[in-house]
Amino acid sequence: MNYVLNDRESSKIIEFIKNFARKNSLWIAAYGTGCGAIEIPPTMTSRYDAERLSIRGAATPRQADVLLITGYLAVKTLKRVIRTYEQMQDPKYVIGFGSCTINGGMYWDSYNTIKQLGLYIPVDVYINGCMPRPEAVIAGFAKLQEMIGKGEANGWKHYKENLEWYRQNQQRLIKNWKMPDFNW
Amino acid sequence: MADLNFENKLIIDIQEHFRENIIAAKVKRQKRVEIRTNRESIESVLLYLKEKQGFIHLAHISCVDWMEENRFELVFILWQPQEKINVLVKIDVNRLNPVAPNIDYIWSQANTYEREIREMFGIEFEGLVGRRELILEDWDDMPPMRRDFDTLQYVMDNYKFRSGREDAQDVRETIAKRTGEEIPEIAKKYSR
Repeated sequence: MNYVLNDRESSKIIEFIKNFARKNSLWIAAYGTGCGAIEIPPTMTSRYDAERLSIRGAATPRQADVLLITGYLAVKTLKRVIRTYEQMQDPKYVIGFGSCTINGGMYWDSYNTIKQLGLYIPVDVYINGCMPRPEAVIAGFAKLQEMIGKGEANGWKHYKENLEWYRQNQQRLIKNWKMPDFNW
Repeated sequence: MADLNFENKLIIDIQEHFRENIIAAKVKRQKRVEIRTNRESIESVLLYLKEKQGFIHLAHISCVDWMEENRFELVFILWQPQEKINVLVKIDVNRLNPVAPNIDYIWSQANTYEREIREMFGIEFEGLVGRRELILEDWDDMPPMRRDFDTLQYVMDNYKFRSGREDAQDVRETIAKRTGEEIPEIAKKYSR
């Protein structure tokens, strides 16, 4: 059994099966910031019915695969988002909603919202729009599934490898840093 | 006195009661009265309005920064449910030494408004109990709602923008160029 798993071809097959399973069971952490969380109920309910595309809500971050950052993110909320993200089990993916997570959006000159989400946590897919409609949300999820199937959605690995760089950016905003260490 | 409505009667009553401590009092419009008083008598004016005139509800405490005149203006907004009348009671606070009287023994919800004003404008209320942090966390700069707080400078110092914003074009100009339309004069001042 052991030598079969160490074989290069069979590990490829196992990786393919793993990715196939991951992309077809996306559980979203029930967490919403900003105004974009209002687009999630129509995406989930009968009209657009994201569940047929294997996208469902999960109750806690430890059970979830996908973290949605739905709209603007205040510095105070960023602290909670980092804690939520670090509690999630590997593999984990982040989707940034709307122009606020891309470049600040209409809050570009606000003193307490962040301008680029990608500096603080790794983002796999951005969905543009203010706000994106449920069709756009589903298209973003389809893109994420495609990336997972190809093994390209590796934000969580990037976070582990570049933890110092992310911490540096996070601590520039969160001055009173009293957070548990990232340990898995 | 029968031809006077409640608003005018209120102004006459309060001027008789407090005399020179009422700096100005007028009816702004129907159902809305504005009273300006000084710092020493604000507590007795509020107590008088609550106990004798039936303004039992404190709707809000607002703050205005008059930077050029070197003062803050506190606005206490009261509500009288029988006559459905709003009263705005205003006092001035010195901007260099911003200390105002604490009124949370009259209405306990004033505590939250006062903490917000303390955080956002830096006005100290005498003997106010409550955590210093209400909405902002770990804030060590100037109170952000003061008008001399330079928001844009703060944003440029603390955040990084994705490149591509600096040459952003006004959408209307692009559309107007494409369709050969003229942008009306009134819309030009909103263009970047």
